[in-house]
Amino acid sequence: MTRPDAAGKLRGAVTFGTDLERPGMLWGALVPSPAAAGRLRAVDLGPARRTPGVVAAIGAEELRQLLPSALGRERPLFPVEEVAYRGQPVAAVAASTRAAARAAARAARVTIEERRPVADVEDRYPEWPGPGAASDPGVIAHVRAGHGNVASAFARATLVHSETYRTSGVCQVALEPHACVAEVSDGVWRVTSSTQTPFGVRDDTAEILGLPAETIVVDGTWVGGGFGGKGAAFLEPYALALARASGRPVELALSYREEFRLGRSTLAAVIRLDTAVIDRTIVGRRVRLLLDTGSSLPGRDFATGYSIGFLVGPYRCGAVEVEGFGVRTNKPPFGPHRAPFAPQCVFALESHLDGLARRLGVDPLEFRLAHVWREGDETFLGQKVGPFGGERALRAAAERARAWRPSVAEGHGLGAALGFWSTGTGAGGEVRLRLDGRALRLEQVEREIGSGSVIAGLTAVAARATGLPARLVRLVASDTATAPVDSGVFGSRTVAALGRAIVQANEKLLATLARRAGGGPVRLEEGADGIDVVGPAGRRPVAELLTPEERDGGGLVAEGRHYGNAPPIDPSRVEDGTFYPYTDFTASVDLAEVEVDPETGSVRVVRAAAFQDVGAVISEPLVRAQVEGGFVMGLGEALTEETLWSPDATLLNPSLLDYRIPTLLDVPPLEITLLEGAPGAGPFGAKGVGEPPILAVPAAVANAVADATGRRVRDLPLTPERVSRALIRP
Amino acid sequence: MSADPGPLEVNGRPVERASIPDDERLLDTLRWRLGLKGTKEGCRSGDCGACTVLLAGETVLSCLALTRDLPALPVTTIEGIEEDPVAIAVREAFTAEAALQCGYCTPGFVVATVGLLKELGPDVGVDRLREELAGNLCRCTGYAAIDRAIRRLARGGP
Repeated sequence: MTRPDAAGKLRGAVTFGTDLERPGMLWGALVPSPAAAGRLRAVDLGPARRTPGVVAAIGAEELRQLLPSALGRERPLFPVEEVAYRGQPVAAVAASTRAAARAAARAARVTIEERRPVADVEDRYPEWPGPGAASDPGVIAHVRAGHGNVASAFARATLVHSETYRTSGVCQVALEPHACVAEVSDGVWRVTSSTQTPFGVRDDTAEILGLPAETIVVDGTWVGGGFGGKGAAFLEPYALALARASGRPVELALSYREEFRLGRSTLAAVIRLDTAVIDRTIVGRRVRLLLDTGSSLPGRDFATGYSIGFLVGPYRCGAVEVEGFGVRTNKPPFGPHRAPFAPQCVFALESHLDGLARRLGVDPLEFRLAHVWREGDETFLGQKVGPFGGERALRAAAERARAWRPSVAEGHGLGAALGFWSTGTGAGGEVRLRLDGRALRLEQVEREIGSGSVIAGLTAVAARATGLPARLVRLVASDTATAPVDSGVFGSRTVAALGRAIVQANEKLLATLARRAGGGPVRLEEGADGIDVVGPAGRRPVAELLTPEERDGGGLVAEGRHYGNAPPIDPSRVEDGTFYPYTDFTASVDLAEVEVDPETGSVRVVRAAAFQDVGAVISEPLVRAQVEGGFVMGLGEALTEETLWSPDATLLNPSLLDYRIPTLLDVPPLEITLLEGAPGAGPFGAKGVGEPPILAVPAAVANAVADATGRRVRDLPLTPERVSRALIRP
Repeated sequence: MSADPGPLEVNGRPVERASIPDDERLLDTLRWRLGLKGTKEGCRSGDCGACTVLLAGETVLSCLALTRDLPALPVTTIEGIEEDPVAIAVREAFTAEAALQCGYCTPGFVVATVGLLKELGPDVGVDRLREELAGNLCRCTGYAAIDRAIRRLARGGP
């Protein structure tokens, strides 16, 4: 398959957010809070205004005149009393050059009565939060749920396996920094942005600026990588406020250091797992989670209420009790990152199960196979488990592990892990199909972020649904003023949710054509001169079946929508907080062989195999590319990637030199097996595959390290220091 | 401002440097003065390779080069190798292996690969190419497809 964007991207000829330019454009810059916590005493923008080239400088005070609707919002553009994290924008400037804008931002004098910040969750809770902690001001989210008699399960247990795991924060590291251009004229607030969620940006921006959503128009660009980091309003409201203040178009882009310092990414967590076993069967599980949510948690308690399920996992485990706290710290807001926080949860649970199996003297893969969900089982929240590829993926991995084992060298180890995911079709969306005699136009709002899900995935679904060759399907992406509504390119949902919408729109299109052709069923085919409708009444060109208005006005239009309904969870099992049901059940198993250097503690992955439950394959090259990319991102989370924070909540490694992602030299050979047959929530039974391939990688690597060394590393990532400490532990 | 360093040649065209500030980076000159936006801005600190260009045929990170300080040698960007036969071969290999996703690191990879193949010759081994390209970061592909594309290009194997 040739990617439709290959030619343009290989010539550097596509426009990303960072490439945007408008006549008369100014450059924006954000004035950062110099302290992580404290009372904001004064923001003196005088020196910024006096910097040569500056056209506008705005803070909370200036908004009173300029944009009173933005005052008193739940999520204020600029803080009024308290700063929440170091680098938080307290003002913004626009100038004729980028250098001038940055100089002006540095010149602004920000006075803060500093307080000692809360740098991490154990700063706030050195001991597990006691009863009533859910209403502490430092707790942003609290979830608690369960079923069965957990106390009795643990009392009856023949073995209780208890462990604490700690995971670090990780950044998305899309290579393109956040960037957008804003223009305000004639009452229209227009922003063009490198975003995964044009409608999400519109609605967030409306909320932050206190404007009606219809007055804001968001248009996308090619996105230079997203991974969750470009999935909500971030720079756009600042850029719009600067455009309003200056009367000129304003470009606002982050430097890469700002990407790290201000970006919304996953933060650290402490995970406590207790598992009760009778003989070789799990009869109870207690999960406790303390998640660092930074200064806020967009999407309320999603990060706790969804993630905590990954600590129970896709297993039968008897009585279950889970409790999680999202804990406020003086760091930037928590944000989603490719399967948000799930690889960290899978690392903890799958390490825990691996160690438990070894304690019981059972093969770890056989132990998982004895407990893994089968279709018809129940989740701990009472949802029926649908078609799930977990058992098949585990069996395939066990077979491969047996084949590899004899050739695993001295000092090497073999480990496997199972991750579980659900396609995000709960977030709905709509598309429009427009058929004229020559082509089928697929109109929607989303832009390509790299996976190919939009430019190749959606067109592949449209081609398969209609029966037309893909070259007759024209993808048209437009802005929020003209395109149908959609939730965004995230959550492995794009092909699944919009694909289902396309299938529905196609059914409507064919129904209309069948009526006009004198009866159905009909189908579309490429004819001698354009597209034909073929049915019981014979073959006719589409053009003959269009009304005069449709012939003049751009064709026959049909809209499709998909708002995925997941079966409900049992509300009687939820004590506090919001939990989320699964739309489908996706398994991802990784097998890794590692070499551990006993002197330095450094870990090298020698070879690996991924077994991905995909439901049904729509485009094999695109699916394989997601597995390859997700595996390597997981390798980074396993071995090197972590944000390091000082006790005063300063990020210590805000650069690609010090926050190390994998390079071309770090990648082992990877065998990929795609498993079809357990259908999911997408069209033709497909499951979303953007996120699942990353899930089990850190856990598989950690289990391989345990196999090689006999020592368990309970902190992620597995840096040489942590592995060395485990090796010398008495 | 220091003395006029004389013109710089970019993609075969002279670019006057007299009015360019001392601290302007080549990356910014290319992108915002000359409109050559195929050269991408990533980290601006020499860690990602997205801004790779050729200076007299050698790969250079344009974010670390000051425009006025450069010797008067020819600069070639992704736009300047449109018709280059080695670049055509590189684009063909990257296309055949779908060795790109979001495309942001792609021009840097193409320019660096072209520069290395020309500098080291067609018999360069794949290991050498891999080592040389390890300074170009890609977050989407996991490098597997890029590795396959490199294998197609490095005739010297293994």
